[in-house]
Amino acid sequence: MSLFIRQFAIAVFATPLLFGFQTLSIAADVAAGKAKAEQCSACHGPNGNSVNPEIPALAGQPALMISNMLFYYREGIRKNEIMRAMAANLSNKEMKDVAAFYSTQMRENASYQSKVENVQKGALLTEKYNCTQCHGPQLQGVQHIPRIAGQQPGYLLTQLKGFKAMTREDMDGNMTSALSMVKYEEIEPIADYLAGLKTP
Amino acid sequence: MLRTILSTVSAFSLSIFSLNTFAEDPPPWKQGITAENEKSPLHPFAPNLTGVDDVPVSSLKVPAGFKVELWASVPNARSMTLGDHGTVFVSNRVGRNVYAVVEKNSAREVKTIAKGLTNPNGIALIDGNLFIAERDKIIKLDNIEANLDNPPTSQLVVDGLDPTNGPGHFWKYLVAGPDKKLYFNIGSPQNITLPNYAQAVIMRLDPKTGQMERLATGVRNSVGMDFHPVTKKLWFTEHGRDWLGEDSPNDELNTLTQNGENFGFPFCHQGDIQDPIYGKYGKCSDSTPPALKLGAHVAPLGIRFYTGNMFPAEYKNNLFIARHGSWNRTSKQGYDVMRVVLDKNGKVVKYEPFLTGFLTDDKADPPMWGRPVDVLQLLDGSLLVSDDHTGNIYRISYSKKL
Repeated sequence: MSLFIRQFAIAVFATPLLFGFQTLSIAADVAAGKAKAEQCSACHGPNGNSVNPEIPALAGQPALMISNMLFYYREGIRKNEIMRAMAANLSNKEMKDVAAFYSTQMRENASYQSKVENVQKGALLTEKYNCTQCHGPQLQGVQHIPRIAGQQPGYLLTQLKGFKAMTREDMDGNMTSALSMVKYEEIEPIADYLAGLKTP
Repeated sequence: MLRTILSTVSAFSLSIFSLNTFAEDPPPWKQGITAENEKSPLHPFAPNLTGVDDVPVSSLKVPAGFKVELWASVPNARSMTLGDHGTVFVSNRVGRNVYAVVEKNSAREVKTIAKGLTNPNGIALIDGNLFIAERDKIIKLDNIEANLDNPPTSQLVVDGLDPTNGPGHFWKYLVAGPDKKLYFNIGSPQNITLPNYAQAVIMRLDPKTGQMERLATGVRNSVGMDFHPVTKKLWFTEHGRDWLGEDSPNDELNTLTQNGENFGFPFCHQGDIQDPIYGKYGKCSDSTPPALKLGAHVAPLGIRFYTGNMFPAEYKNNLFIARHGSWNRTSKQGYDVMRVVLDKNGKVVKYEPFLTGFLTDDKADPPMWGRPVDVLQLLDGSLLVSDDHTGNIYRISYSKKL
């Protein structure tokens, strides 16, 4: 399924099926979220398509992941000075709106090219270390689990190192657990490989 | 096979070191996985931390004569405990706060009484003082109910309760005993591993002296405890290991009859299944079997004996169990509150659904719209059920129809 169709399905089809009681508010949420997200675009790029290697792309990410991470920043669970300030005055409703908006955007301009030597190596490592089990077979994200294919390389590297060092906040410890078996020197090739993955 | 031997040997000989030491071991959640599950896409679910508006309370089902309603909204609502004057204290697992819900003219007000904590899942009251079990310590807020708008600075009771700082089972349940001591779990740090001295245990703490003892061992992780109103024995739920099959092992309801009692983990599950890895090192007959097998991967959390007068007489001294629901199972089950009926000798005679309707499609991802965590009896005898997935608390009441 193309990403667009998948997002369309999530926004218009799956959501009313699972959460029928929310159906009516979906459109308004996206519009309100788009307006609210204007302040995010300076760093996260147009429609969440970041062009800064250190700043994550939000376009097409699962809505639940985005709203939960905004909550994390506002409450000081996940620590980042800029994001804490950005999230400080957002209400729960506004977080959900912003999440609804970004989750329905297309990931565009993911032009990063992985190093040649990491293409095969990265594919093997992401299989070996179970990335494909939770993040989806093509690493496009599942439910609340972020899309890591085509994510910015510097951002991926920072997060993976944080999980490895047990300093990155982690809901149930799953990523800390996953990184406990990854060798430190394997982190860079994994990040480089993931960043170069294109939307199927 | 080699992998099994290696992981067994390393767990035995080296488990005192941090998880990071063993780059070749599987990660904690994957320990003991079978070859056919090697690429399983099963994954845990995440709560909606920003809440869910308009939850479909009308889809919840309770027995005839009972009514269920939305009572309050609290972010990531987890454990609940009741103050002498009716204040309901509510904890967080993923958030950092503890809340108090007070009734005012039949409306509820939610106050934040503690902030900036680390996984403050466990809460209990002794003589008006609120104890909070965080990931690594227990703190207390004195005389809390009289100071809800100006809560006192917390005092440290005990720390050092997170022996590995690792990823698995680090949140704690906390309950006050009739002896005015605190009971809490320290879970197994991994799915299936040989625990260290203060892991896979239930501890007892005397808050007056700070003295601790290991009350029960071989408990993989307990996130629900209560004392029988007549026998005063400790009852507790225990989560079974993952990756032993769709229908195995059963999660457990246990009772403690003597201090230091062993409940089998990691050698024996549900009282009669020897573990494929560790079973050869310990016999099931050396540990206490469960009082009741609760179903596989149902994730039993909070339990509470019913002592109120609102429900019909046959509910007296029944046990309610909140089942958070499975992730490690293709067809999902749980996501409900069960009723356990005991006879005069404390033997289980009935185990049946009490509150259902959270499960929407057992094959869907996610399969539910809400997840029960804890149950609490209010002063009027009605029953609260917390739901950390949507951040809501429901109230179940009973009235005899004429």
